[in-house]
Amino acid sequence: MDPNLVQFKKGVLELCVLALLSQADSYGYDIASRLADAIDMGEGTIYPLMRRMQKDGMVSTYLVESASGPPRKYYRLTASGRDSLNAQKAAWTDFTRSVAAVLEQHQEKTP
Amino acid sequence: MNERQTFLRRLKAGLKGMPRSAVADIVADYDSHFEAGQAAGRSEAEVAARLGDPTRLARELQAEAGLRRWEDERSMAAALGVIVGVLGLAALDLFIVLPLLTAAVASVFSFFVAGLAICLSGSVMLPFALITNLPGFAGDRLQAGLLSLGLASGGASLVAVCILFTIGLVNVLARYGRAHYRLIAPQPSV
Repeated sequence: MDPNLVQFKKGVLELCVLALLSQADSYGYDIASRLADAIDMGEGTIYPLMRRMQKDGMVSTYLVESASGPPRKYYRLTASGRDSLNAQKAAWTDFTRSVAAVLEQHQEKTP
Repeated sequence: MNERQTFLRRLKAGLKGMPRSAVADIVADYDSHFEAGQAAGRSEAEVAARLGDPTRLARELQAEAGLRRWEDERSMAAALGVIVGVLGLAALDLFIVLPLLTAAVASVFSFFVAGLAICLSGSVMLPFALITNLPGFAGDRLQAGLLSLGLASGGASLVAVCILFTIGLVNVLARYGRAHYRLIAPQPSV
């Protein structure tokens, strides 16, 4: 994988998890497999991230009985997680818009 | 030995040194990941391959725990945790930085020890110098006293500089660790 791409993805992983959880509560495997498909990451790295986000108070957890095997740990977005999502989303949108503008200028100069 | 047990065993081995409850929590997370993966129709080998290298994951988790502790309490043990944690990670993919870092840590440590020794010897010499002069010393008692005082304070300031430098180094390491290991390793090439 392109090393630049790895750095980009690292930066937006948290934003992606927040966005995913803002739609519905979810459990580790589900978050990991959906993000792995979307941005091509190693699935194992989701758990250190969830741990950190939980300690930072962005998500909370609760257990749900599952039909097969032990109860599943679900993650839910907290109020501060939602604030963080809005802030990061705004920053991301601003940033990508500026980058796109710069790239466009570059394209006009070098046809 | 099946893939799931191998993965969990290696993960557990990598987490050695962390509190038992934290290790149990982490292992439970990955264990239920296997559970859910199999419920979704994947084989254990497939789930393990997509999770990534358990040794690496364990080091990331260790480093994260160490950084967190350093941010909460600026203690000697916490600083050591950051150094060991980030070095452990760096050992996996930063062969160039590693010797440099090790050298920096080693030299700060030796300066620290030297400073301590100089300070101690100065302090021990001081009373002797003032009472009886130093054996074999050419000058008078005042000179001997000043010399001992100089050694004691010089050693103490060397120690202080080392401590300041260590705090700075640990902060840099913490920032470095955060920037590089805030997760996501590229999909492991299996």
